[in-house]
Amino acid sequence: MKKVTSAVVGIGEVPSGRYPERSELEAAMIVCRQAIRDAGLTPRDIDVILPVGALAHGHWNVDLVFSRLCEELGMLRSVKMNCQVMAGGATSSSVLAVADGLIASGAARRILVVHSDAVGSLPKQRGIDLFATTGVSEEWEAPYGHNMNAVGALAAARYMHETGTTEAEMAAVCVSLRKWAALNPNAMYRDPLTVEQVLASKMIATPLRSRHCNMLADGASAFVVAAAEDAAAITDAPVYVRGHGSLVTHYTLSQDTDLARLGFVEAGRQAYAEAGIGPRDIQLASIYDAYPVWPLISLDGLDLCRGERAGAFVAAGETDPGGSLPMTTNGGMLSMGHTAVGGGIAVMVECFRQLMGKAGARQVPNLVNAVETASGGTWMDSHVTILSREAA
Amino acid sequence: MTRPLPHPSHWSAPYWEAARAHRFVIQHCGDCDAPIMYPRRFCPTCLGENLSFVPSKGTGEIYTLTVQVAGPPTGFADRLPYVLAVVRLDEGVQLMSNIVGENRTEARIGDRVSVDFEQAEDGETVLPVFRLAEG
Repeated sequence: MKKVTSAVVGIGEVPSGRYPERSELEAAMIVCRQAIRDAGLTPRDIDVILPVGALAHGHWNVDLVFSRLCEELGMLRSVKMNCQVMAGGATSSSVLAVADGLIASGAARRILVVHSDAVGSLPKQRGIDLFATTGVSEEWEAPYGHNMNAVGALAAARYMHETGTTEAEMAAVCVSLRKWAALNPNAMYRDPLTVEQVLASKMIATPLRSRHCNMLADGASAFVVAAAEDAAAITDAPVYVRGHGSLVTHYTLSQDTDLARLGFVEAGRQAYAEAGIGPRDIQLASIYDAYPVWPLISLDGLDLCRGERAGAFVAAGETDPGGSLPMTTNGGMLSMGHTAVGGGIAVMVECFRQLMGKAGARQVPNLVNAVETASGGTWMDSHVTILSREAA
Repeated sequence: MTRPLPHPSHWSAPYWEAARAHRFVIQHCGDCDAPIMYPRRFCPTCLGENLSFVPSKGTGEIYTLTVQVAGPPTGFADRLPYVLAVVRLDEGVQLMSNIVGENRTEARIGDRVSVDFEQAEDGETVLPVFRLAEG
């Protein structure tokens, strides 16, 4: 088991969707203020800020890299380092691992992590083209028409082929997430959704239909990580970082030799061992989605379905509100909206929110331990983080 | 707007030059005997640079595929429906390509395929593509 060195002590988030009047800067300011105040701290208590990468507008990302938020938030001559962390969709787990390491080394004691992006307000074709070039090889894949929906489709086809998962079970993932989103005022889509509606929606890239695909959204979120030994004095609801495991399995999707599993078995084994917490000790699964196949691959790889096939487990309602394993209770990118790198950050912030007992109508009762997952690019890597209300 | 076409690196150029001559080649490491796909600057198994291109049979099977029906990237609207596939060559390496031919949308995972060549719109680039094997 790993010695626990850090804990999350504050969170912030704005609603996801299309908010062309809300700049990335304003959204970033709002969520940083929320996270710092949620922790009961002031900006000058923060010694390191780790802004994560933004995709919609290059100049905003340059501002993030070059300490703009330190100036805007009154951290000049108190904050020691502003340093961007970027691993695409895996930035959530990766930046938490970096923060945990900085605290373990003594280089930092209170770290602010922030994401803000506006990909939802891009013109639709620009959004498609942006994601047809992120994690897609210009030389080897783009000339054949590869794109982000095809990534979800190619993996889904292989997963269904190997496991016998049905189209209705794939649709059930979207439906389960929507049930949670209905309870989340920050989610982009909250109307009820049925399996029949998903299966009747327009085909995009077999086997994926339009309602199997996420929508790009504007969004922002932030959180504060503190040294574990300080956490209980800062807040009465710290969330301890207990374990992390990860594995990179490809850059181009075509080079992954096990698309139906990726690296979640290995990453899960590492994270569970580090945490001293196993799959039967987990009460909440905060699983990176974007497309319905990824939660199924993650649930299987992390052994969270008590020996059942993940598709059958989700279709039986086990991941719904009131089910035996609540999953991705903000609604995931499929219902909350895909805010680029922030899609994964929002999944992770929701996990913190649940463990802090601040999830309102969707609060999971008697929650102690949760697992969070993430993946970047075209699911180039598999990340698993174990989080707990208990320090040991 | 036309689709994006490859801008070869100096180490991948022989692959594309071979394709122009309707020959399908893969890279081979003379130090550790590994077959390599995609072409690399150094061998990803041993980091050697004793690399050459060798003829491939251009046969293999479909590891996974999708039929893109709607929502394509810029330059692909008039190609719908097109089939994107990951092909596992008999040499054991994988690549992404299109399945082409009148029967392309009937392709399934596990189907045998063989390489063919498609002249691109620029009049220069030739893209290796795959057809369902007959029989």
